[in-house]
Amino acid sequence: MLFPTVEFAIFFPVVLAISWALMSRQPLWKPFIVVASYVFYAAVDPRFCLLLGAITVDSQLAAVGIHRTEDERLRKWICASGVVFDLGILAVFKYYGFFVTDVSDVLDTVGLGMPLPLATIALPVGVSFFSFQAVTYIVDVKRRQTEPANLLDAAIYLSFFPHLVAGPIVRASEFLPQLRAPRNPSRVAVSAGLTLVALGLIKKVMIADYLARELVDPVFAVPQAYSAPDAILAAYGYAAQIFCDFSGYTDMAIGLALLLGFVFPQNFNSPYRATGFRDFWRRWHMTLSRFLRDYLYIPLGGNRKGKVRTYINLMATMTLGGLWHGAAWNFVAWGAFQGTGLSAEHAIRGRLGRIFPGWLRWFVTFNLIVVGWILFRSTDLSLFGDYMAALVRSGPATLYSVPVVGAIALVIGLQLLPERPMEGIELRISRLQPLLMGAALALVVLVVGATVPSQGVPPFIYFRF
Amino acid sequence: MAKSRPRDDPRLRDGATRIESVLVPEDFESIAEMEAEARAGREGEPHGDDSLMERFDRWDLRRFTASDAVKAVVLTTLLLLIFAGGAVRKAADELDPGIGRDVVKAVGGPAGWISDELPFAETRRDLTSWLSPDEQLSGTGFEAGGVSPGRAAAVTPPPPSMPQALNRLLVTGDSLSTPLDIETARKFADQGAAVEVTRDPHLATGISNSGLVDWGQLSSTQAANDDPDAVVLFIGANEGYPLPSPNGAQVSCCGPQWEAVFRSRIGQMMDNYLRGGTQRVYWLTIPTQRDPARKPISDAVNQAIEGAAAQRGASVRVVDLRPTFTPGDSYRDAIPIDGKQTIVRESDGIHLNEEGSSVAADLVLQAVDRDFDY
Repeated sequence: MLFPTVEFAIFFPVVLAISWALMSRQPLWKPFIVVASYVFYAAVDPRFCLLLGAITVDSQLAAVGIHRTEDERLRKWICASGVVFDLGILAVFKYYGFFVTDVSDVLDTVGLGMPLPLATIALPVGVSFFSFQAVTYIVDVKRRQTEPANLLDAAIYLSFFPHLVAGPIVRASEFLPQLRAPRNPSRVAVSAGLTLVALGLIKKVMIADYLARELVDPVFAVPQAYSAPDAILAAYGYAAQIFCDFSGYTDMAIGLALLLGFVFPQNFNSPYRATGFRDFWRRWHMTLSRFLRDYLYIPLGGNRKGKVRTYINLMATMTLGGLWHGAAWNFVAWGAFQGTGLSAEHAIRGRLGRIFPGWLRWFVTFNLIVVGWILFRSTDLSLFGDYMAALVRSGPATLYSVPVVGAIALVIGLQLLPERPMEGIELRISRLQPLLMGAALALVVLVVGATVPSQGVPPFIYFRF
Repeated sequence: MAKSRPRDDPRLRDGATRIESVLVPEDFESIAEMEAEARAGREGEPHGDDSLMERFDRWDLRRFTASDAVKAVVLTTLLLLIFAGGAVRKAADELDPGIGRDVVKAVGGPAGWISDELPFAETRRDLTSWLSPDEQLSGTGFEAGGVSPGRAAAVTPPPPSMPQALNRLLVTGDSLSTPLDIETARKFADQGAAVEVTRDPHLATGISNSGLVDWGQLSSTQAANDDPDAVVLFIGANEGYPLPSPNGAQVSCCGPQWEAVFRSRIGQMMDNYLRGGTQRVYWLTIPTQRDPARKPISDAVNQAIEGAAAQRGASVRVVDLRPTFTPGDSYRDAIPIDGKQTIVRESDGIHLNEEGSSVAADLVLQAVDRDFDY
């Protein structure tokens, strides 16, 4: 079920009302919210619920098993087997086809081909997100950062519908404490929640989908047919589109959770004002970057084993992070590109600020990030080559229009403004009376709805991951 | 190792939500530890996780009650039902059969009625229609009585016997037509051909269901607006809906009567393109689908395509995908390409994936090559 759909508009008010009605009676509320979340997920495909259930049971068994023993060696083994199971599910459903075709082709060339059967496997929506959350649960218990919850709480943590299909990746140690006591019904951030839902809708439908339709999709489909002016604009357009698409989803997820009384971590913080790769990853998909840091980079040894190992660890972390986004070589290359950027920055750390002024560091970083997005958006590496060729091909500008250029300028420009006044405006709005905000949200939905084409709202980009 | 108290560390001013160190700083291991300490220190407190709210609270966020939340959301819903109840009813018609559709229908029926009875929906449409990205359709639609099964093919100019120049090609259809449209456009671009390929897929639409778009009208509009020399059509993923017979009764899929009405609709579309100036129409058949329950539908659709094309002679070419993708009429995920078994279908067992669409685009180009120079 997508957030901006009629089905969800019917589902959510009912769930919200029942949720708060049952909140003080936790033995009733907890099963209710699990059922509601599974109904939400079953709307995509009921069979996927079995997968979510299997990951939940596995994680719970592992967490309890780890907690019950003091033997470090055994704890480690239980942890590893639990994580392997969760990631195994991810591997089969997301990467099997990639290994059987693309990777097998590469292995064939060195005589190591694997005769695996060809099969088309449906990718369960959100599996990348909830499998990672399951990993944080097991590993956090192993690290004694959190205690195992009961099965019901673990099921709520993994299936809670606002974050189920595209994050943010909420850590067990952030979410489980919120289940220890009923949420306080007299301290609900109603207007902030409604503001975020409205903002997310505008970002997704009015900006991201508009840019995709009018500019990005045509150019990325056949870059050979376009020349530099259009290709450059479409590259910036995609930077704006993917930000509005993903942060729009996150805004809605955080807003809906606030209305239900829960708080999710921040996932974006004006990423296009970054003045370096490190700064970018501090601001873009923050919950993924900290997952990669805490559950991959540090266990690999981080920067504790010398410079060379640091670079290797950075490259490995980011390349795997790229692969997490999708089973295709362009994502692997995009991850490696990010790893190279981080490593290069690490090598000249400290000298950058002395040599280059801030505006130049921002300019270079932003444009490198945009080049990275071209790689990310290209469905294969040959298309990336075609796109890079289009960037230097002379020819007419055919896709420029005031709304398109204005939308891109708005999305990127707003992130460059000082943070404090912008947040201030947003939060001042969110202090308004809830009924007024409810009416305003209806107005936003009506206006946004009028911009939806007859074919409906396209899925969020990160649903594919 | 000396550690500062978490609360004193400026890097932790936003509590656990702010990720102050990312991948490279030397000291982030210690920050991770401090975050853990910070969380552990609050565990006993009621709602100790409220540190996550700090980013909202910095600006003196106002809190309300749960009852306010419910009232606000209910108000939003009511306003939407009053101003756009018809859209809920329409959404129900477009959903696949199932519980979800039944629920939306149960809400959409009364909501649509309320919306119809009040003047607000009309006002809303008047005020916001200019925002719609959909093109205004012209021409006669299927439902307007433009189709009768007995109708003969319209008289259209015969196609030129000599190859003509191909300047504009339209690739259209439902979700089946993408990424065929992209692959076709890329193949022309890779050959350096100066062919302008217009890609116009209309996802989730069907010839037997005009709820989202009426292909009778759409084909006229495409012919007029895009002025293509040739049209490639790949459609049929959403068919099987009951169709009105000439006497007004609904005919269920997929008997001879249904096929006859469907064939006349396809014929109307072909005529719309040809009368609009298109020299050739290339219509792709539907390869067998994985779900056996869909076979009667695709068989009827394919028969209708062949029947309607036969009535229009050389103006319409059928590009038959079945021998390539499902020889012997049996479904398969993979076919040999360049001597290697390659998956050509999406996991739904209906659509062609990128590789499959590339093969289909090759077949389209072979057909186009016979009729056009480019």
